[in-house]
Amino acid sequence: MNRIPLRPAARTLQIQVLRHNPHDPASEPHLQTFEVEEADTMTLFIALSEIRERQDPSLQFDFVCRAGICGSCGIIINGRPGLACRTLTKDLPDRITLAPLPAFELIGDLSVNTGKWMRGMSERLETWVHSRNLENLDIDTVEQAMEPELAEQLYELERCIECGCCVAACGTAQMRQDFVGAVGLNQITRFQLDPRDERTDAEFYELVGDESGVFGCMTLLGCEDMCPKELPLATQIAFLRRRMVCSG
Amino acid sequence: MQIIYTDVLVIGGGLAGQRAAIGAKRRGHDVIVLSLVPAKRSHSAAAQGGMQASLGNCFGASGDNEDIHFADTVRGSDWGADQEVVRMFTHTAPKAIRELAAWGVPWNRVARGDREITVDGKKHIISEPDAAHGLITSRNFGGTQKWRACYVSDGTGHAMLYTMSNQAIAANIPVHERMEALALIHSDGRCHGAIVRNLATGELLAYVARATCMATGGFGRIYRVSTNAIINEGMGAAIALETGVATLGNMEAIQFHPTGIFPAGILVTEGCRGDGGLLLDGRQHRFMPDYEPEKKELASRDVVSRRMEEHIAAGHGAHSRFGEHLWLDIRLLGADHINNKLREVKEICQYFLGIDPVSELIPVRPAQHYSMGGVRTDHRGESPQLRGLFAAGEAACWDMHGFNRLGGNSVAETVVAGMIVGDAMADFCDSQAGKLILSTALVDEFGQKQQRLLAGIANGNGSESAFELTRLMQETMTANVGIFRHRDRLEQAVSTLQELQQRARNIGLRSAAPGANPELVTAYRLQRMLKLAQCVAYGALQRTESRGAHYRADFPRRDDLNWMRRTLATWPDDEAGLPTLDYEALDIMRMELPPGWRGYGARDYIEHPQTSARQQQIDGILGDIPDADRHARQQALMPFRHLLPEHLRNNNERQGEEP
Amino acid sequence: MTSHPNRGPARADVLQSLTGLLLVLFIWGHMFFESSILLGKEAMHWVSKMFEGEHLFGKPYPLLVSVVAAVIFVLIAVHAILALRKFPGSYRQYQQFNAHMGALRHADTTLWYVQVITGFAMFFLASAHLFVVFLQPDNIGPYASSDRIWSGNFWIIYAPLLVSVHLHAGVGAYRLAMKWLPIPAASSRQVRRKLKLVMWGIVVFFLCLGSASLATYMVIGRDHAPYAGERYVPGKSQAPTGEH
Repeated sequence: MNRIPLRPAARTLQIQVLRHNPHDPASEPHLQTFEVEEADTMTLFIALSEIRERQDPSLQFDFVCRAGICGSCGIIINGRPGLACRTLTKDLPDRITLAPLPAFELIGDLSVNTGKWMRGMSERLETWVHSRNLENLDIDTVEQAMEPELAEQLYELERCIECGCCVAACGTAQMRQDFVGAVGLNQITRFQLDPRDERTDAEFYELVGDESGVFGCMTLLGCEDMCPKELPLATQIAFLRRRMVCSG
Repeated sequence: MQIIYTDVLVIGGGLAGQRAAIGAKRRGHDVIVLSLVPAKRSHSAAAQGGMQASLGNCFGASGDNEDIHFADTVRGSDWGADQEVVRMFTHTAPKAIRELAAWGVPWNRVARGDREITVDGKKHIISEPDAAHGLITSRNFGGTQKWRACYVSDGTGHAMLYTMSNQAIAANIPVHERMEALALIHSDGRCHGAIVRNLATGELLAYVARATCMATGGFGRIYRVSTNAIINEGMGAAIALETGVATLGNMEAIQFHPTGIFPAGILVTEGCRGDGGLLLDGRQHRFMPDYEPEKKELASRDVVSRRMEEHIAAGHGAHSRFGEHLWLDIRLLGADHINNKLREVKEICQYFLGIDPVSELIPVRPAQHYSMGGVRTDHRGESPQLRGLFAAGEAACWDMHGFNRLGGNSVAETVVAGMIVGDAMADFCDSQAGKLILSTALVDEFGQKQQRLLAGIANGNGSESAFELTRLMQETMTANVGIFRHRDRLEQAVSTLQELQQRARNIGLRSAAPGANPELVTAYRLQRMLKLAQCVAYGALQRTESRGAHYRADFPRRDDLNWMRRTLATWPDDEAGLPTLDYEALDIMRMELPPGWRGYGARDYIEHPQTSARQQQIDGILGDIPDADRHARQQALMPFRHLLPEHLRNNNERQGEEP
Repeated sequence: MTSHPNRGPARADVLQSLTGLLLVLFIWGHMFFESSILLGKEAMHWVSKMFEGEHLFGKPYPLLVSVVAAVIFVLIAVHAILALRKFPGSYRQYQQFNAHMGALRHADTTLWYVQVITGFAMFFLASAHLFVVFLQPDNIGPYASSDRIWSGNFWIIYAPLLVSVHLHAGVGAYRLAMKWLPIPAASSRQVRRKLKLVMWGIVVFFLCLGSASLATYMVIGRDHAPYAGERYVPGKSQAPTGEH
């Protein structure tokens, strides 16, 4: 929907993008400013698409669902991480500075490799249900019952979209590359809560019981404040910390 | 060019692809998944409302079983579906959901005791029995007789995809992210893998595989207004088409979802209406009962979308500066329900519309949503023309949806087809036919061809803009190949697309940036998308009837006499302006459920003489076995279990059903 | 899993929090005792003698004060060493954090940095204070303290120490609560907002209390400057104040 009528007093937005193409030896990181006529209900997705289509076709960024569901479009918007697809330009000042999420490998311009980071995190923290009977599962019989409230609680924690905003908002993660971030700690609490996962607290301790895990967290709370899904990350990390301390 | 060898290559990291990968991996084969984006960002995550499976646990699902699910699906398809495949599907869906439950999906559960529901605009109190407490619950969806859509709030696809991806990680299946297949490597009717472009670096690679699975989803982005993610450009179907050998089935069958938010086209789930939400017009009058007294807002999607557009055309829409639309009212469901069961919907409304659906109406209008068509496969998911090429999920025309898909049947299909195709690929790899015999010269030849094509675009110095032509294609499709179709507009679409195809040969790039080069990506995808769009437009022009989502204003009746056929499109000549269409008959004499009225929508259709003959035959067969149970009766009419992998053939147990 | 996991990180985290908590409680208590000067020299004298155990044992044992100072010093040292693990480990990390904090404009992140700086400052300021108390435990009293502050110029240390310690303690207490308390997810944002309000309330309260006390000591110290070194004797009208 790029052909949306302009508002009577349309602004001209100055969109500054931190650009760098690591695949081009001649490229140096630099800020480039684009001017975009603001339109009604314009999101950064629309603005960036317009810049690529009309001004600079080489501009790199990632969008997939453009509905705030998939977590592809986390970028730094005026210093703070957020989902570009659902950030309305009307909520931003005339000058908008966009930069790629820090702490992730840069692919080019605003595009970073969150996928690689998240896969590494999943492998390291083994973010899946560990159960002995998964090998020979009987899927013909009625499923195991679960308390309805518990199922809802699990979904509450599973709403994480691995966008990387919590990692970008975390001072600890900026300083320590190996810190698993709120995204990782939250997933551990999700599996810890799940009765289908047979892992003990001692086993979870092996995964997050160190400085790169829950004891590395300094409770700066950037994660909680910048999470686009408003997950209760502070509560979850506090829970995990108590649990891991008591697990010994 | 680097060559990577594997047993099974799965193109697409959504639910279908990953489930197929897990299936093949469990059978001991090496599997690599290619994905345009990190697997957990696939469009499967956007499925909101639910997954259909006849568990029959909750109040409104009581008495449900595969038979009812089968009948709903066939009626929904407007008898365009392959009924054997529908049987395979409905039989396996409960198993799929139970497997996912064990793997970790936090399905919402039945809570014992009384609760309030909203039906037909009124509140009712229902009671859930103790015996069902804690079992997987389900909600009402359109076109179904039972509440059958099992759900995780309204983030069902997200929860399923995360669980599936995590299981794939547990199974140590590598996902090569940001990889796009540009061409299938094939010779003599056998597929050997794909030529692939790394979207981060721009480098070309070859993946050579014994079995290749297309699980690339739909192609909604050939339309301007679509609920689809922007990566849904149908490249899987397109490169299958470009083999000139593989066929695409029923490409004209495009679903429009009734409730895309207006004007952005972002989906809000059918669960809104399933849970009791209503559609209102410009005067805030509930209009659906006027058109569809039986199912009202919960008729199938094709019918509801058509009625909505009809109502707008009659001058009853609401007006906004973006154009006309209708309203979705979920206020009557209450804050508690919306905050718990429809929270993604609430978030979307807040962020994209700036409204709170607890107290405000949601502006909606139908938007392109799903492609029933895709790579034509047999019941095992293999292309009949290109051995070793499999397809699963929306990318496939396995054909369980016919001309209209029921809500919640697509997420279910992804997993079920993944289960079946994963096994089929493993069987294929184990068989003599699955041996890998090819020369690296062939791989080079295919690689060089892609290299030349890319270089041709990059150095073409033409005058056309890829972005502009893409926009023109999308606008043509939305304007002329939408919900209401007519010869004149379809002809116009076909000729515009042909013209765009010519112009697309004269694209000039402004950017020569090394690495990803998004402009180059738009350019080469455009040429392929135009072919898909042409299959849709031309197929729609040729099909002179109305069936399911394909509605011809100039041929408003379903025509079983002439059109009990599936469209098959091939594109054997790259230079040609049109696909070659062929048709495959659907055999009424083998149907378990012969064609009839769907229970909603138009009652008027042209009957096929075999319909009554088959009905008589069925009555006779059933009359001979009056005491048989439902499984035996079904078996007598249309056996299907032998088509399934052995471990999926058992009956499904249900709480409260006699075994 | 039968291997014994390394409990070190868990213990270190608990110990850091625990020492922090004890220090916070100590300093808040300390503030009430030292501000007894606002109630008059008599009250402050009584409190200082209490700490020397006079009310309990009949005669003062200044050694008790030295012991307390030593314990506090150990707590500070342990707390600081544990906290050092979290500090930027290199100039590069320091730069990264600085850039991050500057861009993010996020209160809790900035407050952590405030803690780093105040902690660093206190390592010197508090040490100096403790050192004196440890070596001259009997040198605490309405005149002794005032003379130290004014004539001994210790206000130059105490003023920045006052600000540092209360910012550090207040923010630390808030962070401790967020770190360990079981706050229900549903109300976590409201609870946090309230905690923060309480935190600022406490910080401001102690800064006011501390400043008033310090000012009082300074005024007494200034007036008592000619007699610096002379001790306060309760009940006896003292020369400097009696001259009015």
